Amino acid sequence: MPRNRTVRLAVLGSSVQRTAASGYPSNRSSALKRRIVVGGLVVLSLVLITISFRSSALDGVESTAATALRPFEVAADRVSAPFRDAVDWFHGLTNARSENSRLKAENAQLRHQLVLDQSAVYQNVQLQNLLHYQGPPSIAAFNRVNAEVTVNPQSPIDQSVTIAAGSAQKLAVNDVVIAPNAGGVGGLVGTVTRVWSHVARVTLLTDSSSHVSAADVTSPSALGIVSSADSGDVLIFDRVSKSKRVERGDTIITSGTIGKGALPSLYPKGIVIGTVSYQSESDANAFQTIQVQPLVDFSSVRSVIVLVPKDKG
Amino acid sequence: MDGAKAALVLFVAALLQLVVLTQYVTFRSGSIVLVTLLSIALLRGSVFGAVAGFFTGLLIDTATLGTLGVTSLLLTVGGFWIGRYGETTARDRFHAPFLSVAVVTVLYAFGNLALRFVLGEPAPARLVVHGLWSGLLVNLILTLPVYALVRRLFPPGEISDRVREVRLLG
Repeated sequence: MPRNRTVRLAVLGSSVQRTAASGYPSNRSSALKRRIVVGGLVVLSLVLITISFRSSALDGVESTAATALRPFEVAADRVSAPFRDAVDWFHGLTNARSENSRLKAENAQLRHQLVLDQSAVYQNVQLQNLLHYQGPPSIAAFNRVNAEVTVNPQSPIDQSVTIAAGSAQKLAVNDVVIAPNAGGVGGLVGTVTRVWSHVARVTLLTDSSSHVSAADVTSPSALGIVSSADSGDVLIFDRVSKSKRVERGDTIITSGTIGKGALPSLYPKGIVIGTVSYQSESDANAFQTIQVQPLVDFSSVRSVIVLVPKDKG
Repeated sequence: MDGAKAALVLFVAALLQLVVLTQYVTFRSGSIVLVTLLSIALLRGSVFGAVAGFFTGLLIDTATLGTLGVTSLLLTVGGFWIGRYGETTARDRFHAPFLSVAVVTVLYAFGNLALRFVLGEPAPARLVVHGLWSGLLVNLILTLPVYALVRRLFPPGEISDRVREVRLLG
């Protein structure tokens, strides 16, 4: 019996058009529409990137939009606060016993250290007055602007936060940002890198573009540069000569401007950066290999202090 | 109506991501915004996904005071691509949202890295690779509840752009 090829050919050789629902565009026009929409949005994104990257033409729009978003961010923060507190409470409860004994021991050690430090500070002030010593600017030469962190880093490679203070509070690019502390001044957080009227962007010390001239408190002649270690939570104290003595546990602070160079340091002298967590030397390296554990926990910075030079105000 | 619903859902997801979740380091690798957007795109198609991605990216770029357009570009492409997958191959397959989220999470991370590199911003690839596994895990965990919620809000079967022409074989 001969095969009926006509039917088979008819099925294979043609496509069957399903009935389109009324009101829907035809396939061809919808494909064109799809291409136009996505192409247009991609081009618009590229235009935005170009304008935003090359000029400050969109800064006003961005500032207004960021300010408009602020009430929503505050609302979201307040709504989430009880849940966050609950998480923190449970987390604290599990660590309470071990943390309590650790903190008691640390407290006793710090009380002893405080007595020594206070007498050293008193002696230092007296000697500076006697010698009429003119040193690099310290934190006392700055006004402090307290600001809340409104937006946290959004990805592992994003090492910046948004704060709720801007040019209206006399903030400017390169202002130094530190963490608040119960005793007054906390550790170094970073610098202001972009400023709008009521918001500013702070680049953290853990960003690979941050470099700070620093010194060891115990061995003040051990000078170097603190920068990110690319692992997120550890810093590198680099360019420290092998002849200088740096030990594990030493406190690293900002050194301020050394001498009268043409490029003064952005950072005033004496802000604590962290403590030395690892130190080694090798013949292959001209300098010591030093890792620094930052004083600030960059994963949970919720408020900051911006140091604004007094002469600006 | 769908547009307003999507705008509201993505706005809430963006606020949750920007203000609440990123206070915890674990959630900085993942992104509830990405998962929500992909779920919507999967259910509403490529054009919807691309437009939603563009405006969500703009919102995030504005809130983080970053370079405008970077996140928009990545989310537009991601939303479009997964929307197209939803219109054609994915249909009602159970694994579709998980597969979409996994693939786009990886591509988004490397796309973000590449854009930062091109713009001359710090782009440590090591951090991206380190955070990729935790990001993938967080996003996949988020996918189940987020997709279920989005599916309730955007019931399937209303994609106007699904392929209506089929070729019969045999």
